[in-house]
Amino acid sequence: MPYLLVFPSVAVIIVFLVVPFVEAVIQSFFQTSPFGTVSVFVGLHQYRLLLSDPAYARSLLITWYFALLVIFGGLSISLFIAVLVTRKVRGLAFYQIAFVWTYALSPAVAGVIWALLFDPAVGLGTYLISRLTGLFINYTTQGDVALLIVAGAAIWNMLGYNICFFIAGLQNVPRELEEAARVDGAGPWRTFWRITFPMLTPTTAFLVFVNTIYAFFQVFGLIDIMTKGGPGGATEILVYKLYRDAFIRVRYNFASAQSVVLFVIVALTAIFQLWVSSRRAVYLR
Amino acid sequence: MKRLMFVLFGLFVGLAFFANGVCAKTTIELWHAMSGSRLKVLEKIVADFNTLHPDIEIKPVFTGTYEETLTKFIAAYRAGTAPHIVQVYEVGTQTMIDSGAIIPVYQIPEILGETWDWGQYILPIVLYYSVDGKLWSFPLNSSTSMLYYNKDHFRQAGLDPNKPPSTWDEVEEYGKKLIEAGVVKNVIAFGWPDWQFEQQLALHNRLYADNENGRAGLATRVMWPDEFSLKLFETWTRLAQEGILIYAGVEYDPNAAFINGAISMLLQSTSSLDGILKTAKFEVGTSFLPRFPGEPMGNSVVGGATLWVRKGLTRDELRAVWEFLKYLSITEVAIYWHKNTGYFPTTNAAVKQLMDEGWFAKSPNHLTAFLQILIGRRDTGASLGVRLGPFVAIRDYIRQAMEKAFSGVLSPAEALAEAAAKANAALEEYRMSIGK
Repeated sequence: MPYLLVFPSVAVIIVFLVVPFVEAVIQSFFQTSPFGTVSVFVGLHQYRLLLSDPAYARSLLITWYFALLVIFGGLSISLFIAVLVTRKVRGLAFYQIAFVWTYALSPAVAGVIWALLFDPAVGLGTYLISRLTGLFINYTTQGDVALLIVAGAAIWNMLGYNICFFIAGLQNVPRELEEAARVDGAGPWRTFWRITFPMLTPTTAFLVFVNTIYAFFQVFGLIDIMTKGGPGGATEILVYKLYRDAFIRVRYNFASAQSVVLFVIVALTAIFQLWVSSRRAVYLR
Repeated sequence: MKRLMFVLFGLFVGLAFFANGVCAKTTIELWHAMSGSRLKVLEKIVADFNTLHPDIEIKPVFTGTYEETLTKFIAAYRAGTAPHIVQVYEVGTQTMIDSGAIIPVYQIPEILGETWDWGQYILPIVLYYSVDGKLWSFPLNSSTSMLYYNKDHFRQAGLDPNKPPSTWDEVEEYGKKLIEAGVVKNVIAFGWPDWQFEQQLALHNRLYADNENGRAGLATRVMWPDEFSLKLFETWTRLAQEGILIYAGVEYDPNAAFINGAISMLLQSTSSLDGILKTAKFEVGTSFLPRFPGEPMGNSVVGGATLWVRKGLTRDELRAVWEFLKYLSITEVAIYWHKNTGYFPTTNAAVKQLMDEGWFAKSPNHLTAFLQILIGRRDTGASLGVRLGPFVAIRDYIRQAMEKAFSGVLSPAEALAEAAAKANAALEEYRMSIGK
């Protein structure tokens, strides 16, 4: 009976995850013509190509840099805003909704908004920045700018989700503990870092995990809409490079090898994070 | 859960199709990449055809950009769900020829026991898509690149609005004047930047790849960087650093800047002509592409797309496809297509009728690119344009090189050399993968 009950989800996982993955592993040992008419076994050729490809190393670096920006930047801003909107202020509900709604937008829509905002010729953001600082930014040619803007869009799009969880986490912090700290003479700053923040670690650990997956995979739509991996490959994070190699440059086998490597990288990252969070997070019993 | 819903939905759609298939209509699926104003024009033509032929139903499916349409077709072919007709841009020509997945269109009338005069189509289009003098894909939307400029801006900067720049030196000179006069901050942008690189090489009769641009045999390496391509890259990079040239994205992205008056000139496909004329609130001028004086004359190359027919159709399906293709060549249809999109009229009869009714005199901008390609030479591989197997990838590499050179990450020479190394590796991998 229990097997029967888990059967549907196991079946779905096998059909949609296991089979394609095995397929990808097999494909990564072949060299196939674009239309699949000729297929030659090439052993580890694709992996050798991958490891000696400077573009792949660069993509890996960009991915880590991007993920760090999105995770730490995004979570810091979210936590800051969450603390602000849990205070007793007039119009609290309005502020909470105002910050949370961005999550309701799909990455594609967020991408369109940010692309228009920073359009080099007609963007409002570009105009304001050049007015305020005299700097002319063009994310279609400047790689660093492009990465920052895409990271900004990614953070903005995820802000609502992060804030929701932080608000919930903050509301679960027992008032007594904070009050006790205050009675003992701790200022608000100290109270936050010594009491509130440690109490938030389960939430934070969960959000770090979710945001890692987000930064590695789900920003795909955003990048596709905004930069298509450009300029000069500056926003070509691993998952996007994989897509371009497979479906634009029609190098399916090379991309299969990449997907296998990407799987290993993400799995290791996830295991590491779970290990760290299970050791460090404070769970109140 | 989401996945499960998709599966159920897919089953539903599948059933609906099955139920539909019971009646005797021959259904032909057509995958295309016509977005924006062109989508409506194509859909109107298809709808008219369907009313005219009650036994045939052409189903047009918009499958994204050209890049996406080609790669979706490849994926679908591998999965056995490819459509009957697919619109492929000129970049995919060699890939399609080598694919073994299509019937060359010149064979279709032979198979059906008909004769067809392929001489009725406009020569530069026929030459571009022919192998050994036989046409492999059906002309639909051919275009080339030309210069668009804002005549009002020219007047404001004290320039003659009827004297657009004809050389890159003039682009620079005019650009400086336009910026100094405070008309714009940046002057010129390129639509399809990677294609403009190709255009310039062909325009000056320079080979892009060996084996006559891949027309005499599979190309084994690209010919750049050489003296000319370096000069080109250096000129463009200098213009970019002076703020005259602005890199404003790919494909049709830069059009917005031109239409909004943020820039004064645009190199773009003729296919944008109607969109620009309808939305721009200033007087639009068009002219030939800027050149380098003292360099040999070549020709601008055909862009746009043609229709390819998948192999393995039943006789009924093939007949239906052929009816549709013939319909596209009817003078009225070809004229309607040309007038509403800016793509070249595809047949000689259409050109004659357009001329007779005074269309080109009434709308001279529709003649610019057409004249440009008709007066250029077409007796060399270099001037006919490039045919490469992994062309989509190579276009991508050259685009990256432009982005890197314009932003100063690499010098023009380094950027070109890096792209050339990747392009040569791609060519080698392609030859290996198709077993040649």
